[in-house]
Amino acid sequence: MGVRTTTAVLVGRAVRVAARARGGGSAIPGNIALKIDPEFLQHSIARIPLGVVAVSGSNGKSTTTNMLAAILREHGLKVFTNPSGGNLPQGIASSVLASVSASGVLDADIAILEVDEGYGPKLTKMLKPTTVLLLNIQIDQLNRYHEPDRVVRMLAEVAGTATKSLVLNRDDNHLVDLDSRLGAAFTSSRAVSFFGATPELIGASAHGLASADRFGDDQTGAGARPADVTVTDLGDSQAVLGVDGTDIAVRLPARGLHYALDAAGATATARSVLGARFRPGLVTAALNGLTTVYGRGELLRVDGEDIEIIMMKNPASLQLNLDSLESAPEQVFMAVDEGTPDPSWVYDIDLSSLDHVDVITGSKAWQFAVRFGYANIPVGTVDLDVRAAIKQFLALPRPARGRKTMILNYEQMMLIRKILGFKELEGGGKA
Amino acid sequence: MSGPLRILHLFPRTLGLNGEGGNVDILRRRAESRGLSVEVTQLDDGDVDGDGDTVPSSVDLVFIGSGPVSAQVQTQAAVLAVAPALRALASDGVPVLAVGAGFQLLGTSITLADGSALVGASVFPVTTVVTGERVVGDFVVESRLGTLVGFENRGSYIDIGTASPIGRVIYGRGNVAAEGPGAGASAAAIAASGSTASSVVRVAADARVEGFWVDNLIGTHLHGPVLANNPALADWLLSAALARRGETLPAATPDLVEIDRRAAEARATITAAPLSE
Repeated sequence: MGVRTTTAVLVGRAVRVAARARGGGSAIPGNIALKIDPEFLQHSIARIPLGVVAVSGSNGKSTTTNMLAAILREHGLKVFTNPSGGNLPQGIASSVLASVSASGVLDADIAILEVDEGYGPKLTKMLKPTTVLLLNIQIDQLNRYHEPDRVVRMLAEVAGTATKSLVLNRDDNHLVDLDSRLGAAFTSSRAVSFFGATPELIGASAHGLASADRFGDDQTGAGARPADVTVTDLGDSQAVLGVDGTDIAVRLPARGLHYALDAAGATATARSVLGARFRPGLVTAALNGLTTVYGRGELLRVDGEDIEIIMMKNPASLQLNLDSLESAPEQVFMAVDEGTPDPSWVYDIDLSSLDHVDVITGSKAWQFAVRFGYANIPVGTVDLDVRAAIKQFLALPRPARGRKTMILNYEQMMLIRKILGFKELEGGGKA
Repeated sequence: MSGPLRILHLFPRTLGLNGEGGNVDILRRRAESRGLSVEVTQLDDGDVDGDGDTVPSSVDLVFIGSGPVSAQVQTQAAVLAVAPALRALASDGVPVLAVGAGFQLLGTSITLADGSALVGASVFPVTTVVTGERVVGDFVVESRLGTLVGFENRGSYIDIGTASPIGRVIYGRGNVAAEGPGAGASAAAIAASGSTASSVVRVAADARVEGFWVDNLIGTHLHGPVLANNPALADWLLSAALARRGETLPAATPDLVEIDRRAAEARATITAAPLSE
């Protein structure tokens, strides 16, 4: 380990302590460590005995990373992972800083890293993962990616960096045959495995899996590949996974087939990484013990009331989360700002699981109010002042069915958590 | 009223990216709220048999939306198959709203990244080159209907020749490379990108224009979808469609008045602080 790495660790850590004392600025320490030692991540992560597992896709990265880390920990492994959302190089470096010795050695058996699609090709070329898990390709952040086809190309590059195994969602239009598109040179020396759900469960979901359409070329239809782990039954926040002929029951962070598929992806990856050491029974225990990644089916308790957070990261996550609502939420708050620069896609969303919205805020509030107008969904108040809007919403009478619902984009979720007095951890290492 | 208002929605499966279908839902809603009946015919690439006889002979309004380049390539054959029928509708004065990739396909040609050309339907006398500088951000255009807002996300240039555009760009890039607020590559980015950028001819900030608007043919790269926050444009299209039948568009009903109030607020919010990446 070089002097450069040691300097990066020491300076990065000092910055981390200072930044935390001031509250926030969580990606800054990692950024500084990378400036001092551009190969900081390779140096710190390369020595981990079982190497790196990279998790990517449009939706479910944080949830699945969390699940996979829990399953591997349940099997007795010491796991290093990046906390939810800290999936850019500087965020990952920040979390490494929290766990390394001064010489840069990371005390872990394996690293499970959630990897942003855009930075994925660069990051995985640096980190050379043994295993890559790809969850799905859905319409997401077109302002960043311009069109879904570009995301397909980026994730194909990420898949191509796997040195040992590749785990794919067989029910995704683009991932079902990604292995064959990588060519024989890749597949002949890698284990490729699949996860998925039964056709009945996918058929029963109002909008399927919201997989991005695929145009052109000869293609394998989604679902056509045999899966090693299959979602066979779905209940209220629980699911049954079929693994090697064994049925295992798992708890999910919230209702929804998409969460069950995340669990199937995590399980298939654990099975691939652990080989003969994999014990299906430990999956149940691991997933039972999980707390939710915040903003993903999370309940916040505020002044004795439960507030359910629905994150609308992109069309697929909003649609699937709306589809999994049991009934129209009694009180609805919505906040969307410039973190969603182009909300055009809301015209693709079936909003019929909402019967009204009480308060809308954020700089995109009026655009959403127009959309709700066209969808014949009554809107109470529009107030661009987020604090005033929250006040109005909290002042509504206590809901008869026990919870209030907030539909938020990522940036508003972070802001509103802070306003409501919850600690901000995202991207900054474990507290 | 002599029968329903007939809207032809071209290729919704391949050219329905990012809420484009909302434009048709909005047209339908704005007509139905006023008591007009509406009939939407969707035509997809698989429906076209090559003779072009799949286009209904009586159409009052045509819409085609946007999609990725892969969808554009896949849809081209079907577009050519219906091109004669579409040109006939256009020359009969049927209003056409064409957005993004669909607008490009209804032009005369699209030059792809590898230099090859896709022949278009020649409904619009415009040509597209897909390899331009990417611009992503809010889009504000001053038109004969007042301020239009939307979102611009394109890497292509479209040449409309001497035809008239929809309007002048206040924020954003418009049809070709330009200087000005929101026009895309900043001076620093241009400098950093090296030699290729210096060869790009940019129109001056106050010469930026967006889209194509001649008679009843409108082509644009305003997304949002374009009709969402620009009800005046939706009503102009409906009025033009009805005028061909000797009818007029009834006044907006209270539900539309409320939607339009919100859309005015949305336009004001975007215009006050437009952003781009």
